Amino acid sequence: MSEFVELNFGPQHPSTHGVLRLKAKLDGEIIRELEPVIGYLHRDAEKLCELTFYADNLILFDRMDYVGSMLMESGYLEAAEKILSIDPPERAQWIRVVMNELSRIAAHLVWAGAFGLDLGMLTPFFYCFAERDKILDIFTEICGTRQETNYMSIGGVYQDITPEIMDHILEFTETFPKRLEEIYKLFVKNDVFISRNKGIGVLDRETAIDYGVTGPMLRASGVNYDVRKAKPYLVYDKVNFEVPVSYKGDNLARFLVRFEELRQSVKIVREAVKKIPDGPHFNPKAKKPMMIRLRGDGEYYARTESAKGEFGVYIVGDGGVKPYRVRVRSPTFKNLSVLPVLAKDQMIADMVAISGTLDLVFGEIDR
Amino acid sequence: MSLYSRLVGLFSPLGNLPSEALSYIAESLIMIIIATLGLAFMIYLFRKFMARLQLRIGPNRVGKFGLLQVVADGLKLAGKESIFPKGRDDLPYRVAPLIGMVGLILAFAVLPYGSLFWVGTVTIFDASGTSVSVILLFAIIAIMPIGEVLAGISSRNKYALLGSLRSIAKDVSFEVPMMISVLAVVMMASARTAYPLSINSIVTTEILPYGILEPLGIFVFMVSMVARASYTPFDMGESDSELITGYSTEYSGMRFAMFYMGLFGSILLGSFMVSLFYLGGFNGPLDSSLGVVWLVIKALILVLISFTIWLSMPRIRIDKFVNLGWKYLLPLSMINLILSGILTLGMGW
Repeated sequence: MSEFVELNFGPQHPSTHGVLRLKAKLDGEIIRELEPVIGYLHRDAEKLCELTFYADNLILFDRMDYVGSMLMESGYLEAAEKILSIDPPERAQWIRVVMNELSRIAAHLVWAGAFGLDLGMLTPFFYCFAERDKILDIFTEICGTRQETNYMSIGGVYQDITPEIMDHILEFTETFPKRLEEIYKLFVKNDVFISRNKGIGVLDRETAIDYGVTGPMLRASGVNYDVRKAKPYLVYDKVNFEVPVSYKGDNLARFLVRFEELRQSVKIVREAVKKIPDGPHFNPKAKKPMMIRLRGDGEYYARTESAKGEFGVYIVGDGGVKPYRVRVRSPTFKNLSVLPVLAKDQMIADMVAISGTLDLVFGEIDR
Repeated sequence: MSLYSRLVGLFSPLGNLPSEALSYIAESLIMIIIATLGLAFMIYLFRKFMARLQLRIGPNRVGKFGLLQVVADGLKLAGKESIFPKGRDDLPYRVAPLIGMVGLILAFAVLPYGSLFWVGTVTIFDASGTSVSVILLFAIIAIMPIGEVLAGISSRNKYALLGSLRSIAKDVSFEVPMMISVLAVVMMASARTAYPLSINSIVTTEILPYGILEPLGIFVFMVSMVARASYTPFDMGESDSELITGYSTEYSGMRFAMFYMGLFGSILLGSFMVSLFYLGGFNGPLDSSLGVVWLVIKALILVLISFTIWLSMPRIRIDKFVNLGWKYLLPLSMINLILSGILTLGMGW
């Protein structure tokens, strides 16, 4: 092995999306061996969950996938509400769907911008972030913060959605598709972009399933699996949307699947906002003073579709006010584990492009 | 009247020889100052242009319209510590940024800039010194990569080493098509002037801009200049998402600023060269005394085109990049050479 150059990418490196460290053995420009090293953003969220009340754990989930925090919240609440046997009212479920999809759009936009940067495109990053900022403005209106929203809570959502905010969201769904197509064209109308992505980093169906890859990456490899369709939660069975699938499995396929998902998410938001029924936004059984006294018993594994893939939360309650054990199945962790396979015998530049399509967010991998 | 003779006239009370010597020095100083100011303006222009393209505002706090931002940044970088990595090769590490910068400034000194009102022709070595300024220009340009290579191998950093390997590959594969496409211009100019190797006489004796006669030539030369300046899509040496900043990874403070200015200087130099060789340089619709203005306008348009390319293209992969140089641009430049030969001999252009 001594003839190879050992190179450390990261943890401080422009293209590692946070704090990924990659130990690479290089043969000239070609990577012969790659080993991802994680753990630089470890905050022990799972253990901290055991030390705090069910209601308070939400903020720890906000900080996992920090670019799509609403998705994390609803993922946790799927499990926690089952354990505490509190059902959110219909209105809250619809609001959660709207927020989930807005959050998915925001997360995918961050990915698209960062992917552009990985390939050396400076401009799409700003276009994507300008659009994302409009979503963050909606979040600010609805809950007061931009990124770590802490909007949903056990038994519903923290604040009711007002007609003004609904108008704001509808206005966004009107203007966004046009901007999205502009951003899309900026990428795919570029020959260099296509040549950097077409046929690069092909992940075949079997490998994807073996490694437990989920989300857009799995769907780009030809498996039609989306938790929203396969095992609908909230009210996803009542909205119309399609799950994009590609059978190519390369970088470009992952790119196209994510962009199609953006379009589908806009569709869902537009439909769901109009369908939000009247009624309470909060289950009175979980009203504020009672919230920390809620006791949970039993165990439950909830799976939701986050922006990165299947986000699973497993909670065991022992009848106390705090969970006995919380375990998170991080989709990005599984997706990252396939990188050594994809990047083997590829050039450095291709490895960077491939790791760009994995959509890595380290808050969620390290937790 | 040229700038040189104006200066000699100014210094004439000092006597014959001192005044000539002084005016050479003054001329060079003026050139260096103009080149540096040009670079500073380029950086400002780039930041403003980039901001406009990316729906931002850009620098607008320091000075009117943020015009002094570059000065502030320069002062900041000058005040910063120049970090010397452990295990470096000391002399090459210190000298490398200077080599690139000196090459750049010298290259600006060789270019003819046309005439400007009272001053007369703004040229230094071209009109007064040599009739082979094309060769001199490319010789000077060939100095600049040495700085990159020295920086890469002396800073004892794997990223820097890979960056300098890439920039060698870049320079080797794009120098040849660039030279051959300029050769075609020289060949066509030789039909009309006794000094086809002097940029000044190439530009002054042309009937049509060579870019119109040699569309292939301008294409190859422009692509080569993009590659030579090394920005996206061809920023092999300093591909920031792969090799951090390539050969300048370990540099900081003013030494880093030199590399940074070298990048913008290369863009400006490339734009000047393309407009001189292919777009008629300082020739323009209004006769005489406006040459510099025409040249600057042409160069500025090319600079803005370069910036747009820079900001909207992804980075090309190194193997495809080298392929582009050897398999596409080199044959294209050969075809261009043959076509220009036919034009020159057969058609009498």
